[in-house]
Amino acid sequence: MADGNGTTKVGAFGTRVKRVEDPRLLRGDGRYIADLKLHGMVHAAVIRSPHAHARIVSIDKSEALADPRTIAVFTAADLPEMPPLTCIDAEETTLPFNQQVMASDKVRFVGEPVAVIVAEDRYVAEDIMGLVDVEYEPLPAVVDPEEAMKDGAPLVHHDTNVVDTLEYELGDPKDAMANAPHTLSERLVTQRYAAMPMETRGCIADWDERWETLTLHSSTQVPNGVKANLQTFLGLGENSVRVIVPDIGGAFGVKIQIYPEEVFISFLARELRRPVKWIEDRWEHFVGSCHGREQIHDVTVGFDDDGRILSLRDDCITNTGAYLQSLTLVEPFIGVAMLAGMYQIENFEATSTVVVTNKTPMNPFRGVGHVQAAFTMERIIDLIAQERGLDPAEVRMVNLIQPDQFPLAKGIGNVLAGEIIYDTGDYPRVLKRALELAGYDEFRAKQEGLRAEGRHVGIGIGAFVEETGLGPYESATVRVEPSGGIAVYTGSCPSGQGHHTVFAQIAADELGVDISDVKVIHGDTDLVRSGVGTYASRSAAVGGGAVRNAAGGVRKKILAVTERLVEAAASRHELADGRVQVKGSPSRSVALGDVALAVSPGRALPDGIEAYGLEHTDIFHPESNTFSSGVHIATVEVDVETGLVNILQYVACDDSGRIINPLLFEGQTHGGVTLGIGGALLEEVVYDDEGQPRNPNFMDYLIPGIGNMPEKFITDHVQSPTYLNKDGIKGGGEGGAVGAPAAIANAVADALRPARVTATPLTPERVFRLAQAAGLVGDQTP
Amino acid sequence: MNHPIRITVNGQVHDAEVAPRLTLADFLREELDLTATHLGCEHGVCGACTVVIDGTSARACLTLAVQADGAEVRTLEGVTRPNGELHPIQQAFWERHGMQCGFCTSGIVMTLTELLDEHQEPTREQVMEALGGNLCRCTGYVKILEAVDEAVSLLAAERVA
Repeated sequence: MADGNGTTKVGAFGTRVKRVEDPRLLRGDGRYIADLKLHGMVHAAVIRSPHAHARIVSIDKSEALADPRTIAVFTAADLPEMPPLTCIDAEETTLPFNQQVMASDKVRFVGEPVAVIVAEDRYVAEDIMGLVDVEYEPLPAVVDPEEAMKDGAPLVHHDTNVVDTLEYELGDPKDAMANAPHTLSERLVTQRYAAMPMETRGCIADWDERWETLTLHSSTQVPNGVKANLQTFLGLGENSVRVIVPDIGGAFGVKIQIYPEEVFISFLARELRRPVKWIEDRWEHFVGSCHGREQIHDVTVGFDDDGRILSLRDDCITNTGAYLQSLTLVEPFIGVAMLAGMYQIENFEATSTVVVTNKTPMNPFRGVGHVQAAFTMERIIDLIAQERGLDPAEVRMVNLIQPDQFPLAKGIGNVLAGEIIYDTGDYPRVLKRALELAGYDEFRAKQEGLRAEGRHVGIGIGAFVEETGLGPYESATVRVEPSGGIAVYTGSCPSGQGHHTVFAQIAADELGVDISDVKVIHGDTDLVRSGVGTYASRSAAVGGGAVRNAAGGVRKKILAVTERLVEAAASRHELADGRVQVKGSPSRSVALGDVALAVSPGRALPDGIEAYGLEHTDIFHPESNTFSSGVHIATVEVDVETGLVNILQYVACDDSGRIINPLLFEGQTHGGVTLGIGGALLEEVVYDDEGQPRNPNFMDYLIPGIGNMPEKFITDHVQSPTYLNKDGIKGGGEGGAVGAPAAIANAVADALRPARVTATPLTPERVFRLAQAAGLVGDQTP
Repeated sequence: MNHPIRITVNGQVHDAEVAPRLTLADFLREELDLTATHLGCEHGVCGACTVVIDGTSARACLTLAVQADGAEVRTLEGVTRPNGELHPIQQAFWERHGMQCGFCTSGIVMTLTELLDEHQEPTREQVMEALGGNLCRCTGYVKILEAVDEAVSLLAAERVA
């Protein structure tokens, strides 16, 4: 923003300002949950089910309790009766598939909490774990969702493993399919993988007997939600629970809900009258924190000679694992409801079946549902192109929703999110820009030559629309202090993204100050009474919207007070350099701090000003959600002998509306894409037929390292502002994770033509077999 | 039975009696309150706990405190300049947005102190090789590589000055 002197402020909205968070973290002064120590604190270790499915016959604690080092051993029998964990939007008619805080009669996945040990340190607590004798009667387990749907399958909860089947229909899909000149069908499978932040989960509960108040320090994305849940589970009032969030070492969705440990650790702290700390280890994280993605799509598409889609049918199955978690139903909804992405598809029908099995539960993480939708749809588009002998980019172009069609009601709703109404966008422009940046035409021109040399190179497009900026609301309070400092309180607390910086940029923009004058405060439910949290790429759009509105409210009051301090009408004032000045005469000005002082308690309020303080709170309810979009293009070379995929170039062109800070936006794109590279090529939580996880560690579950980076990485953006918040911001945190699996899978398919690429991850083994089946290597090579 | 050890951490000598099973990471974090050394996996893969022991980077989660008896250990706290200013490597990560949540960053900075002590102008291969043992889930490594280049320049400028 240009100030009165025509110079650009440090930290102005839209500029690449470096983060205010970093120096503290770089010095090692971050305070993550594991770093916190409270006086008298003891340590918990959780005994988890080693069986995927078993009846708990008995739990013998006697040997553990006889050990003098044991402070406590708690099982479900030692806990008061508590409701199960809730699932949002589970139909009232649906049978309960919810998880108890601790398993009592039956365990349904490896990793389910069965007992908890408390001792003076974690080493000892883990020693004691071995002294508890849990007798199980193993039951047959089911891990495959289609097996789980069959008669005679092991039953996880009730007499059916099917939670629900959702149905969608738009237009006249059957008739349009019957009349389509061409049809094709394919099964597309996205594997189970996980958010896998570098910091696991953890919490410390502290019960204050004098005030009968619980304080829970927790690495959660949703402090106010955890607080509300703890009130219910522990029977405490509004003012008897406080949740504090320390620095978080990444979350990406896996910390989006209350987990059983937060409940029983809180209960233990109250029982023992001592602070209790539990830090999840990496094995526990693999088995006890939610996974995501596992979804099958059986698609039939009808299209014309030009590849224009006339009708689309999808039968989707989601394997949610053993229990419905708070937001488990988001994945099956979005996976189908967002399938059409950027394309105009008027005739559509789908079923989305939700199935439980004996695996770790699923819940949303970065790109939830959209990842599968994009992978499925984008593969289908490429298959149409292949079938018709057309270029995949052309097939996309003929199917795109056009810029004059917004806002576009899709006629479908989503869990938590209501009706899908695409707000704004310019998909042809995003696609054209991405093609240009990728050198698409040039690549196509030389591709056949390279193939003739025996090089298996391919290019793939991943286009998507993503529902972001999710409500229902977010809060912000902005206050100008008599010192001139600005305090911003937000309910949207960060897990590494850079909220301090971008919220400071918004407040500074509204109030004409430098970002260094702004302090952003979050992650304490006593300081932020109403708030939602960080997920679904909502912080900038909804949290930022609230900050803009709250700062605007303060600005109004600043002008009203100044009108009385400096004799000039409010309309003649402007805010710049931390002062309110009369336009054109900077000498007639007053510092913001002095304006705050003039309305401080203890003073006589100026005439016409009715309340003390320069503070405004806004609860921002956007009327709908924002829809970001992007086109990603990967260029790969496949070594058909080893099955290794080398990403030669990756282009990400995203439209997330107006961008507050392009530097941070790039960081989000890079990180999201890299998570998507993991999903495309490396990551899968693998189970055997008995429901035992086979790779719950970083040796066997590979997340991308620096060697998996694309050789060349180009990012750019188009900005189609939304009308849903004042700054035109949409979400930008997840697009990378959504676009990458689609783009990379299409590129690998292109490199291995005519191989049938229908599933991720494209591990060396799978790629080798695809190449072999396509006659590119091995026995079938001529 | 506890064992007496003497470890020099960031220039300060510590005498302690520790259990043989206590890891160096837990010794640093729990006994010395040096919590910049983070534990991401506790099985030696993620690299968040990387410290420098007698000039060589090592996993503090796989090193026992008793193994470090007599050693000089450097952690992220010892990289920051005594006056609180950022070391050029830290500064470079700030300038280039080479970090997001900051959890893996301590290990990455420690790996780089070793690399850039040994090589003033490392090749891209040397950088990739060194950082191959540090996982980051936030940044996608692009800006980490930019930060390494920036650190090389800042260190060179500092040597000239």
